[in-house]
Amino acid sequence: MGPGGNVRIDVERSIQRSADESAAEIRAFLLERKIYALNLISSPGSGKTTLIEALLARFDGKGGVAVVEGDVETEIDAERIRKHGVQVRQITTRSSCHIQPSRLLSVLREMDLSETRLLLVENVGNLVCPAEVPLGEDARVVLLSVTEGDEKPLKYPLVFKTSGLLVITKTDLLPYVTFDVERVRRAARAANPAVEIFEVSATTGEGMSALLDRIEALRAVKNG
Amino acid sequence: MHELGVASEILDVALSEADRHAAKKVTSIRLRVGVLRAIEPGNLSFLFEHLARGTPAEGALLEIVEEPVRVECGTCGVSEVSSIAWECPRCKGAGVSVTGGDSLSILSLDVDT
Repeated sequence: MGPGGNVRIDVERSIQRSADESAAEIRAFLLERKIYALNLISSPGSGKTTLIEALLARFDGKGGVAVVEGDVETEIDAERIRKHGVQVRQITTRSSCHIQPSRLLSVLREMDLSETRLLLVENVGNLVCPAEVPLGEDARVVLLSVTEGDEKPLKYPLVFKTSGLLVITKTDLLPYVTFDVERVRRAARAANPAVEIFEVSATTGEGMSALLDRIEALRAVKNG
Repeated sequence: MHELGVASEILDVALSEADRHAAKKVTSIRLRVGVLRAIEPGNLSFLFEHLARGTPAEGALLEIVEEPVRVECGTCGVSEVSSIAWECPRCKGAGVSVTGGDSLSILSLDVDT
């Protein structure tokens, strides 16, 4: 251990400490304002924006929904949501494949959230990176459309392990694709025994009200 | 490309620890990476090498200790597996709970003082 030698330094430290610190700040920020936050994660095109639109329709008139859209490029999703007359911000992440908590925190600080009771964060469309980065959310929602295949929980385990809600979308297409719903349910439960699973079709409306009811109930608990 | 953020954070920690111990050079960094993290070691090393250029951690070797997933089966007990499975690797039963495999941490650094 003398000078000029090779020494081993024990560190034992999580690599995500700075991200975790920002996430904790977001959590405190939301708790203080009694805002219930969902982090929506899925592949591109699984129905995140559509679910947000359904939630906006449900909470229309009850006030209090704010939306943050994350995409690598463009404001297309924010513009789509803005038409519903709610407060929405777009985060364009450029080269990054997920929303960084520090970025979300600064966006939230710029927004007027005095009336907000429900915050919907639509993460960048992929099942890998967003799973690794907590955003201080109350619950993580992973969406899986039946056209993507029932092996996704095996290929992208972390997102299924860390999500409290699994929403299987586009179930009206089940007759046309090979997708074993039970296989997905089994895998999701093994990854997270507490996961709540919903099967929905935004096209026929089937299953949507059960999901929206559940989110409304979760939100009500936090709003106090 | 999610390894870029990870590589950058490893470099930050390595440089601040090296500085704190008045080290001249970081020669290797040991990491514990859970298999659920989907980190591609070659990709991580490539990005780290690029970021570390011109710093005391230039040329440092990344040693990855893989953390397996623990599959607990009511019948067969605990198995450790290095790729994710939602069934027991022994009896193929589906009644399992899966834990571990999500670590992402720096264990230690070797430095020249």
